[in-house]
Amino acid sequence: MIEISSTENIIPPVVKSIRINLTVEAAFRLFTTEITRWWPLASHSVFGDEAVSCHLEGFVGGRFYEVHKDQRQSEWGRVTVWEPPRRVAFSFYPGRKLDDSTEVEVTFQPEAGGVRMTLTHRGWEHCSPQFQAERDGYDRGWDLVLGKYAQSAAAAD
Amino acid sequence: MTDISPFEALSDPTRRKLFERLRRGPCSVNELVEAVPVSQPAVSQHLRVLREAHLARVEKQGQQRIYSLDPRGLIELRAYVDSLWDQVLDAFQQAAQRESQESTLNPSTKEPGHD
Repeated sequence: MIEISSTENIIPPVVKSIRINLTVEAAFRLFTTEITRWWPLASHSVFGDEAVSCHLEGFVGGRFYEVHKDQRQSEWGRVTVWEPPRRVAFSFYPGRKLDDSTEVEVTFQPEAGGVRMTLTHRGWEHCSPQFQAERDGYDRGWDLVLGKYAQSAAAAD
Repeated sequence: MTDISPFEALSDPTRRKLFERLRRGPCSVNELVEAVPVSQPAVSQHLRVLREAHLARVEKQGQQRIYSLDPRGLIELRAYVDSLWDQVLDAFQQAAQRESQESTLNPSTKEPGHD
């Protein structure tokens, strides 16, 4: 009898790939240490409209976190691989606890005058990220149930 | 349809533990009861919710009811995570585009700290 021992056998990791017109160095920097310049905080954060910035610290063990306007923080993950400018990986558990962690890896490869950036999210089936503000309707139950959970999880940190 | 969404089902820590156990492979109710610190009736209730959310399914094998993961709920979770990253990467790509336009327009203003 064959036992299916991992969900990766059923559903593969989420993999996204985009092309960017920057140097590898600039793309890596923009994605990591300059992340607060572009991350869609209002929709992709635990604090939603009250989040003012997010930060990814550039070293192994560095924190990935958002900051509330009252200076409270909510940790989203920890840097597990820091290999500028080609590769960064972090655990990812917004709105969750550390032991509910998932893994994200981002690689940057030079490609004809630009960069091919590939993002792989593993373990999401273990625990999907709980950003509060999936308000624009993916699922009505989401905001009501998980939004509250995400806030309380953040408050309990 | 009174289906529960997989997100709602997994908002409960006990159900996450049961789900986690199922990720390691199909198992009996007894094995699931051992995985969490709650009573068997409570476990049955949680399993019912996981089934309604299409995260777990049950099959009779001889005398035993064997639980396993149901791909349907996983597909829904995956679609959500996928769209979440689509939105994030769209924002990143737009920022990258602005940055690349700026450096084309002002090739001399590359000193650190320029913003």
